[in-house]
Amino acid sequence: MSVVSVDISHRYGELRVHQGVKFEVRANEFLCIAGPSGCGKTTLLDILAGMLKPSEGEVRIDGSAADPKRHQISFVFQEPSTLPWLTVRDNVAVGLRVKKRPEAEIAAAVAEILDVVGLRGYEGYYPHQISGGMKQRVAIARAFATRADLILMDEPFVSLDQPTRERMQQEVLEIWQKHRRTIIFVTHNLEEAVFLGDRVLILSAKPATIVADIAIDLPRPRDMLSAQFTELRRRCLLMLHEQHAQSSGARSNH
Amino acid sequence: MSVLRNSVVRAVTLNIVSLAVFLVLWQAGAAIVNSPFFPPPTEIVGAFARLASVGDTQGISLYAHSWASLYRVLVGFAAGVLFGVPLGLLMGLYPGVYAATRAIVEPFRFIPPIAWIPLAIIFFSGLTRFAFLIFIGAFFPVFTAALVGVRRVEPLHRKVALVHGASRGYILAHIVVPTVLPDILGGMRVAMGAAWLTIVAAELAGGTPEGLGRLMLNYAELLKIPEIIVGMIIIGAIGFVLNELLLLAERYLFRWRWQVTL
Repeated sequence: MSVVSVDISHRYGELRVHQGVKFEVRANEFLCIAGPSGCGKTTLLDILAGMLKPSEGEVRIDGSAADPKRHQISFVFQEPSTLPWLTVRDNVAVGLRVKKRPEAEIAAAVAEILDVVGLRGYEGYYPHQISGGMKQRVAIARAFATRADLILMDEPFVSLDQPTRERMQQEVLEIWQKHRRTIIFVTHNLEEAVFLGDRVLILSAKPATIVADIAIDLPRPRDMLSAQFTELRRRCLLMLHEQHAQSSGARSNH
Repeated sequence: MSVLRNSVVRAVTLNIVSLAVFLVLWQAGAAIVNSPFFPPPTEIVGAFARLASVGDTQGISLYAHSWASLYRVLVGFAAGVLFGVPLGLLMGLYPGVYAATRAIVEPFRFIPPIAWIPLAIIFFSGLTRFAFLIFIGAFFPVFTAALVGVRRVEPLHRKVALVHGASRGYILAHIVVPTVLPDILGGMRVAMGAAWLTIVAAELAGGTPEGLGRLMLNYAELLKIPEIIVGMIIIGAIGFVLNELLLLAERYLFRWRWQVTL
């Protein structure tokens, strides 16, 4: 829902992880970030979530420094992150409970979002009773249940099988179109990035910077087999390959 | 669900049958040996009835003996849990504290409660003496379970709360405690076993006239075996019931772990 501006550099001791990673996310934009493996995406996400302070610079949400206590930031993790001792309903409510919203508001928000993600009827189930795809749906519902300023997604569908993955990509777009939020979605899968994003950023290998900012101005729903889609995917792929070549070249120098 | 119920019925039936076979063999063995040192179950039942209605040589009823022991165990056990859980959590959350005090904590763990009896006799009397010894026995299983359980907290679960802006207190109450609770309950069952073992040893060492250990010692001096065996059976039975109660609590609290999967 908010404008996010990022301008950070980060290092672990001598290891420079990010070198001037600078970009803006418009309100309600769906931004995808792709990069070669080892580009420090986990660190970047922790910084974006306000859980890790960058060595230099900062992340600003609507003008103020990103802070989990002040802002509503949601995170959909790569691994199933449902809490096994809570029911589906209580899992979805976690973000609202931490922020101490009134119970009536929580109940209404949870019921609404469970409807949207198609989990109505499963409110009382525990995570081990539902499938992997449903668990990830719970995590997505949790992210959207709060009026999140920023939703971060860390390859949320990577552990799902191909048909489930495609359905979830479709679903997350539908949810986002109904409940507009600012989303930063990190993935290694360029097809996924071009299919979902308003824009795709390509990161370089360490020390990471942004090497390409590609607008995906295709109307939705997007046809993955169309010429324009293939062309955009090819452009992203070329940029990424260049980075892969550089990072493996750098590695062989050691 | 009916499959589950059938398996319970089956387990109960099998246990009743094996218990019956055990009693029949015992009775037959006693009849063959025919000695006052090998009393049959029927004599145990007689001794039980006498102890329950008339009481022991001093007129103290079986109920009073049992309750005295159980009460001491519950007080000491509660103290062990009350201290063991927070200290275990504290040392689990701050591994530095544990690492710095290992040389004190660990040797204490290997001093059995029975080895504390001489000191307990000098410093305490009555309920306090027994409760103290039980506390020693119950503390470490609970403490260790909490200490080890904290390490099982998934960093990802912590992050789920953290990203929404959760405080340390929130993470402790809503992430750490639910993760550690199954371990703590398991530790409590071990602690209950240790407490119950300790009480008999502590009562055998002397003190007040009530208590199942005291009862058995009295009849040992009189060489009356059936009464001793009554004491043993009651100790076994109470321990069994306490353990089953804790198991029931575990099943209820952790239904998120054992409920049948779809």
